[in-house]
Parts: sequence; structure tokens; C-alpha cells
Amino acid sequence: MENLENIVEEPVVQEKQEYSSIRYAFGAVLAFFGISSKTHRASKKRAKFVGDVFTYIVLLFGTFLMVYPFWWMIAASFADTTDGATSTQVIREIVWWPTRSTVEGTFSSTHKGGIFWNYQLFFTEGLTVVNGDFTFWRALLNNLIYSIVPVVIGVITSASAAFSFAKINWIGRNAVFYFLLAAIMVPGPSIMTAQYAMYKSLKWQENGLVLIIPGMFGSIMTAFFIRQFLFGLPTSIIEAAKIDGAGYFRIFCGFILPLAMPAIMAQGLLSFMGCWNNYMGSYIMIPDTSNAVNLPHAIAKMDGYGGGGRYANTNYAAVIAGSVVCVIPVMILFACFQKLIIGSLMLTGSKE
Amino acid sequence: MEDSIAVNEAVSEEQAVAVEAVPQKKQRKPINQAKLQDNLWGWIFCIPLIIGTVWFVYICLVLAFLLSFTNYNIINGGDMFKYIGEMGQHIMTNPETGASSPFYWYSYAFTNMTQTQYPMNELGAYLFNTVFYMIGIPIGMILSMFFAVCMSRDIKGGNAFRVLYYLPCVASTISIVYTFKLMFSQQGVINGILGLKDFDGGGGFQWINLRGVTDITWNGLIRANGGTPTSESAFMNDPYWCQGMFTKLVIIIMSVWKGLGGTIILYIAGLSGVNAATKEAAQIDGANGWTIFWKVTMPDLYPVIFYNIVTSVIGGMQIYMEPTLFIGEQYITSGYVSLIQVNGIKAGKSSQGAAYGMILAVIIFVLTMFQFWLDSRNKD
Repeated sequence: MENLENIVEEPVVQEKQEYSSIRYAFGAVLAFFGISSKTHRASKKRAKFVGDVFTYIVLLFGTFLMVYPFWWMIAASFADTTDGATSTQVIREIVWWPTRSTVEGTFSSTHKGGIFWNYQLFFTEGLTVVNGDFTFWRALLNNLIYSIVPVVIGVITSASAAFSFAKINWIGRNAVFYFLLAAIMVPGPSIMTAQYAMYKSLKWQENGLVLIIPGMFGSIMTAFFIRQFLFGLPTSIIEAAKIDGAGYFRIFCGFILPLAMPAIMAQGLLSFMGCWNNYMGSYIMIPDTSNAVNLPHAIAKMDGYGGGGRYANTNYAAVIAGSVVCVIPVMILFACFQKLIIGSLMLTGSKE
Repeated sequence: MEDSIAVNEAVSEEQAVAVEAVPQKKQRKPINQAKLQDNLWGWIFCIPLIIGTVWFVYICLVLAFLLSFTNYNIINGGDMFKYIGEMGQHIMTNPETGASSPFYWYSYAFTNMTQTQYPMNELGAYLFNTVFYMIGIPIGMILSMFFAVCMSRDIKGGNAFRVLYYLPCVASTISIVYTFKLMFSQQGVINGILGLKDFDGGGGFQWINLRGVTDITWNGLIRANGGTPTSESAFMNDPYWCQGMFTKLVIIIMSVWKGLGGTIILYIAGLSGVNAATKEAAQIDGANGWTIFWKVTMPDLYPVIFYNIVTSVIGGMQIYMEPTLFIGEQYITSGYVSLIQVNGIKAGKSSQGAAYGMILAVIIFVLTMFQFWLDSRNKD
């Protein structure tokens, strides 16, 4: 009964209410921008349009913030720092483009660099200065070995474990799975010293095996995500293959690997990026003087590990050129497979 | 997370039971054969992962635990396995009294006050930095929630934004640190935007420095009274928690910037899972956008947010690379892991590093359990 009265009364109250002309005009302006108030009701279309424009402005501003440091990095790598007196000024004062860049060719007549002068420096002498006969190509080769061999083998071992956990019934399966999953509770840094001592007595450090062998055994998180994906595949395929006389190994190679390829690829790419950027592993486990250090480690060495000095004192632009070289491969890879990677990450988000 | 595992397992077990039930009636022998095959191949397929995890995680954990009671030194200690084997002879002794004290490094971690000029010990200083960097976690969460809500609107090019925001996540930390270091340098672009280039007598504001030396107060910092603006103010000098404040600030900005994309994707996935029907019903009932967000969307997003908090706290406790690359290993800025690295690996005192590592593991475990406890209380 009360409700009914309210409904009847409400319009009457609204009609009686009088607004000042200023309030009325303000309401009209608000309605124009898609905001409903007591005087005016904005149309839904207008509200959506205004909201979209606002969203675009915010997102484009955010995109600018996200992309600008990369642009800055590229611009800095083209700075002409050959004149010792102004070299630090030139690289630090960059906003959009260096005041003296190698592109414009304003550098002194004594040095014969081209557009890619800083890159050339980085490729030819940058790393040699800090590590003897260590060249850029050696660093690149190291990085490729550290990020391809363990990732490819590790993803396959993880996938096989995931297949075993998802599709084969064996005694103690869940117990073993949770036993392995508990390993992610152990923080890496807290077992770092023991690992260091172990790798030292195994003699894996000077030759860089420390960054290859542990990765080849796969990782439990990768196995976990592939397992989640395999639960979505019908078991009937495996049963059918079994009836046709295929062994488990054949099923794994012939059915599971091709069918789970999207998940395997996404996990593999993510771990590839992790291994490519693995500065910490190399810095902690591989000695400074070894020729097995990877690319990020070598670049950090040019800067004296953040302390400044070494090669960076004379030419910071070469360090930045090295940073660009370090970023470009993963960027290209990410650009090619962004759909797969983002999709896999989205799946993670919705699963958890 | 655990719910979905349980559901999946229940489903797969049901399927397996259903499949096995059919041939069981007809013949008996092949089933046992098949079961044997199942057990055999199940183990074979996951044996590499088991070996890897046990070897590189569990055995190392046990070794680290044992090492923390010894006086092992990586530089002149010889082979570690041999050392652990005859561990009884190498129990840590107190260097002052000469008495055998296996828990020496643990008590040292909580008592030693000589290493820093802080009113706290070394462990406290590094732990304070680590916790300070965690300010970035809530900031990053709010920002990424804002961007995720923007992106999940029905607009064109939402996917492109997603990809662009994820770019910093795939880039190598080292490249980003060097870029930020130069952008925040004294004559850098950030000082240009903020108009701080005339600090320190025209040198520019020093974001990346550790502590002030001259006695100039806040006035110098905010440029009141016409004084010479300087970045070396007493504010940076006196209370221990202010030292290197601006360096820490730059590191927080950088880590928030770098981690934003991953969190945004997580939240977008969560937002797309929110029940659209409930939202519509709320809209018809007259709820405005703000109410719908807090009362309908947020409860549905809760698992994603909880997962994000747990993982970021675990990751935040292990911050290492960013401070170290910005300014080197310093007790004013470095995170807890530097303590392990400096003592356990660089200085060679493996046992001390292992003890610090065990303390870190306990801290992370307790923090995680505390979060799960809060979560369970929230559900009641």
C-alpha cells in the first residue's frame, strides 16, 4: 500500500519542484555530456559516446606512458656521444630526439661512424673492453643456447608430466602431483647459496651448464598449466587410440603434442622470454670472468653492475644500444605471437 | 584454484571409472595388463619432472637448511657434499667465545648492529627496504583495475591496448633500468617536465642518490624563501627511513610501470567472467555504475584479486634486480635478497647466506598463510 502511494506521489513532487535557471542550464550541460541529473535525462547513446571518448583519452594517455620509455631508449641509442666534453649531456637531455644524433651526421670529422655507430661500437668493442676476448656474438650465442635448449626440452618434459597427471591413472598420482606443486612454495633466493655450492662442486659454472641443465627437467608451473589444458581434451581420443593398439608413447607424440600445441607453445614462449631476460641467474651463478655469461649480464657489466664505470663512463650510448638489441628479439617474438600469449594469460586469470 | 583442480579431477576420475567399468565385465586379464601399463607409463612420463624438482628444489632446500648450521665457506671450504657428509666436525662456532653454536647465524641475523648506521640491524634495514617497495603493490592494483575496467568496455581496438600495455612485461629488466636511470638523471627528461633542472646550482635534482650531506630543511626542497634548491636536504639525511627516498620512489615507479600489463590482463580475464545477467538486473533495479561496480563486479572479482595479492607479495619479498641495477648493492636501497647474495655468495659465507635464506622462506610462508587465514575469515 505504501509503495503504491509513493509511486503516485513522486511525479507530483517533481512537478512542484522548481529549479533556478542556473541549475537548469547546468543540468542541460550535464545532459549534453551524457550525465543524467534531476532536471534533464541524458540519452543512453550520448552517455555511451561520452564514456567512449573519455575511455579513449585515458587509454591513449596510458599507452603513451607505456611506449614512451621504449621510444626514448631507441632515440638514445642514436645519440652522438663521440665528443667527450658533451657526451653525457647529449644523452641525458633527450626528450624526443638527441640534439646531436648519428642520423644527422653532426658528429666531428675525426670519427667515421654512420647512423648505427653506437650499435657498431656495441657489436665490435663494447663487450671486449670489459671481458677480454668476449664479443657480442659470443654473448648472443650464449643467450640463444640458454633460452632455446632448456626451454624446448623443458616444455616437452613438462608436457609429458602433464599428460601423465591428466590422462593416465596410476597409483599415487595426486600425491606426487601435490608433492611437486608444493615446490613452488620454496622461494628461489632462499636455496640460492646451496645451489651455488652444489653447482660449484659439480663444475657447472664456468661453462654455463648451470643455466641449461636445471631447465631441461621442466618446471612444475608449466606442467600445471598444460595439465589444466589437457583436462579440456576428451579422453575418448586416447581410448580410441589405445583400442587401435597405440602405446602411450605413440599417443603422446601423435595426439597429445599436436592437440596441446597452443598451450605448449604459449608456455614455451613465456619461458623463452624469461630465459632470454634471465639476468639474475647468470649474475649470481656464472663468474664474472667466464665467457659463458649471457647478454643481459654482459650489458650490466659494461655499466659496472649499476655502480657506473667500466665502459659506461666513456660511452653510455653503447650501453643503451645494447639494451635495444636485448629487447628487440623478445619484442618481435611477442608481436608475432601476441594472440597466443595474451590468450594463455587470460586463461590463467580466469582459471585461478 | 584448488576448487577447479578438485572439480577437474572428479570429472576425470568419473570418466576413467566409466571407461574401465565397461570392459571389466567381459574379460579380466587384459585389464590388469592395462593397469600395469598405466602405472608404468605414468611414472615414466613424469620421472624427469620429479627428478628435476626433487634435485633442484627439495635436495637444495635440505642442503641449505643443513648448511646454515655449519661454518662452510664457499671460497676455501672445498667440496660441499663432502663437507655436509662430515657435518659433525664443522658445526658453526661462535667467533667470540669459541663455543660450538649451531644457531649462531640465526642469532647474528637478529642481533648484530654493527653493519649499518641505522638504529636497527642489517636484516632489519634490508627487510625495511623490501617492505617499502611493496607500496607499489596497491598502487599497481588500483591503476590496473582502472585500466582493465576501461579496456573491458565495448570499444574498438581494446585488444591493441592490451598488447601495448603488456610490452613492458616482456622487455628485459636491464634495458628498462638503464632507460629509467637516464630518464631520471639530473638533466633528464623527467626533471625537465617537473621543472627541477635548476636544483643543486643548475645541476638538476638528483633522484638517484643515497643521502644528503648539507643541513638544508624542507624549505630547500620545496624552494620557499628564495633559497637555493637542492636535493641534498636534511630530510634525506637524518631519519633512517628517509635515506635514499627518491631512489626508492623511482624504483617503485619503475616496477609499477613494468608490472601493470600482466595485472591488467589478469583483471580483464576476471571481468569477462563476471555474470552479465546480475549486472543487468541491478541496472534495471536502478543501481548506478558505481554501485554495480562495488556490489556486483567486485565480489565476483575477489578470487582474481586475492590471487594477485598473494603472488605479488611473494614476488615483492624477492625483489632484487631493480635496486641493485639502479645503484648497486646498498643497505639503504637493496632488497632482502641482496643480503643473501652479498653474504652468502660474494663474501663466500655460504652458511650465513643459507641462514638468511631460511629466514626469508619462513617470512614468505608466514605471510602467505596469514593471507589465506584472512581469506578464510572473509568467507565465513
